[in-house]
Amino acid sequence: MKDFLLGLAFLIGGGVVIAVAQTYPTMPTLEFGPSLFPSLIGGGMAIGGALLALSRVRELPAAIRAAGGGLSAYDYRGLLISLVPCGLIVFYILASETLGASLCMALSMLLLMLIRGAKLWMSLAVAIVVAALIYLLFSRYLLIPLPEGTLLSSLTLAW
Amino acid sequence: MEPFLQGLAMVFNAQTMLVIVAAAIFGLFVGAIPGLTATMAVALLVPITFYMDSTPAIAAIVATSAMAIFAGDIPGTYLNIPGTPASAAYVGESHLLARKGRARETLGTNLVCSVIGGLFGTLVLVLVSPSLAEVALNFSSFEYFWLALLGLSSSIFIAIGSRLKAFLSLTVGLLLSTVGLDMMSGAPRFTFGIPDLMAGINFIPVMIGMFALNEIMMFYGSRKETRDVPITAKDNVFRQAPRHIRTYWRNILRGSSLGTLIGALPGAGADIAAWIAYALGKSRSKHREAYGTGHIEGIIDASSANNSGISGAWVPALVFGIPGDTITAIVIGVLYMKGMNPGPTIFMEGGSQVYALFTVFFVANLIMLPIGYLAIHASKIFILTPRKILMPVILAFCIVGAFAINNSITDIWIMLVIGLVAFVLARNDFPMAPAILGLVLGGTLENSFMSSMLKSGGDLTSFFSRPISAALGALVILVWLLPLFLRLYRRLRRQPQPQHSPRSS
Repeated sequence: MKDFLLGLAFLIGGGVVIAVAQTYPTMPTLEFGPSLFPSLIGGGMAIGGALLALSRVRELPAAIRAAGGGLSAYDYRGLLISLVPCGLIVFYILASETLGASLCMALSMLLLMLIRGAKLWMSLAVAIVVAALIYLLFSRYLLIPLPEGTLLSSLTLAW
Repeated sequence: MEPFLQGLAMVFNAQTMLVIVAAAIFGLFVGAIPGLTATMAVALLVPITFYMDSTPAIAAIVATSAMAIFAGDIPGTYLNIPGTPASAAYVGESHLLARKGRARETLGTNLVCSVIGGLFGTLVLVLVSPSLAEVALNFSSFEYFWLALLGLSSSIFIAIGSRLKAFLSLTVGLLLSTVGLDMMSGAPRFTFGIPDLMAGINFIPVMIGMFALNEIMMFYGSRKETRDVPITAKDNVFRQAPRHIRTYWRNILRGSSLGTLIGALPGAGADIAAWIAYALGKSRSKHREAYGTGHIEGIIDASSANNSGISGAWVPALVFGIPGDTITAIVIGVLYMKGMNPGPTIFMEGGSQVYALFTVFFVANLIMLPIGYLAIHASKIFILTPRKILMPVILAFCIVGAFAINNSITDIWIMLVIGLVAFVLARNDFPMAPAILGLVLGGTLENSFMSSMLKSGGDLTSFFSRPISAALGALVILVWLLPLFLRLYRRLRRQPQPQHSPRSS
């Protein structure tokens, strides 16, 4: 079932790639240009995706029947938890300018450790120490401009 | 002589040696923790190597990858869980040996075989690459086109599992390689108006997404956490190793040469080398029946092969700029950043730099002996480090590492999107190596094709007009037809069997 859906996704994706590639200009000396490779790749995706979907068509009715009876059996909780790290990356992207890189990292690490049942004191200690170490290593030693955060600096100013 | 001595001086100084030791310890940690691979270790290391000189940067990568491949054997032996995929082939064998009270002896033999395998691969690298580079100097865009295509084709046809999925994974990598300004016409492709994408997709965030973020997501989705070590080891690490080496020297030699060869093939890395070496070792053994019961011979071929594969993968990477595995795919990017453009000229212009590179390989492999010895004694520390504490730390490194390449938030977005795509694909058994090779070789493939077509005025037959180009082209076609030949061969072998086996029912 999943392979069938993935095959369909590749088929559609390949079609979109080909359509976008057609908008690129061609080179005057040759009959083809920047659109050639993306079109070939899109074609490969579409054909490969179609073959994958077709190879699973026979299993489809059985898979639908099984899914109908046991939708709840699918591990949605596991899937949702596995998306938490992604959510935390988005949180870092959006909040690091305000909260600062080290605070965002510490909060993210703390949350992730607690989700998997680590002890609170240990999670807190590791999150704070590691965030400080990473910040020092990258910001001070490797001179990467990690966001310091406007919140902390404005609080310090106000104080 | 002077370049050689300069090369030695570039390695034997406090900074480089310290980097090698630190990288080996880092590789040890990552390799020994199940779920973290040698490629992930290297991907996480790269942002830090950007700020080093070229010799310590490469030394760090070599030491990390070699050590991680050995360290994968530690949880394999104690817990029956391979630390890296390269240890999976013989994990059953080493765990059964550990249950017989021979855990340290097994790991000691693994370590010695890994070192010999790594040194063997390095010797091949030192002896073969310069002469291969002289041949490669005559290569034009036609030969490079075929080489790139050969690399991509073998990544599909040598992959374990579905070839169709390997092909689709490759198309993802190739598509990513087309993002940015087209080299020939200057037209922007798939940039969606984002200025950061004009220069193309930097593949370090892609690597971090594919190999680190993907693993973190897998961990949070699985709920598994192995925590007890049922085996206590009191035996001696190296006492039995000389005897095993004397008895099985042929296996070590066979595993090392096979590993180097498979490592040098694009798309096939240490894990496939280990599987094939284990199977070959078993089929040629006098004690075939002992395999699978905890037989020391069963670990020798494969543990030599996976480390020699790591060194062997550097041959095509340095000579042609075609990576032999996912680790050297990252290395090629690092070499470009360091101004050491991979390709035959590296051997002509490099001088002391090349000697330094070769020396680094020898030192990084030899240093595995003392560090590995200590690690075997302290195995429990690595195995018991809880992943619920480590994975969040790795996520923080992923974010900062992806950002550090260009100081750009776009790279964090790229890591996130690729991590999600890789998560979906990997959960459905799509191999990741073809995607990485597609990303790394896509540009070479397209540019060499386009410049060849411009040179020949659009004549496709010109791809077969030069002798080496024609031979490489024939090799590519052979790789494509290989599955068909194999199927025919199997069918022909199976057909006469019913007449000769009357007892079968």
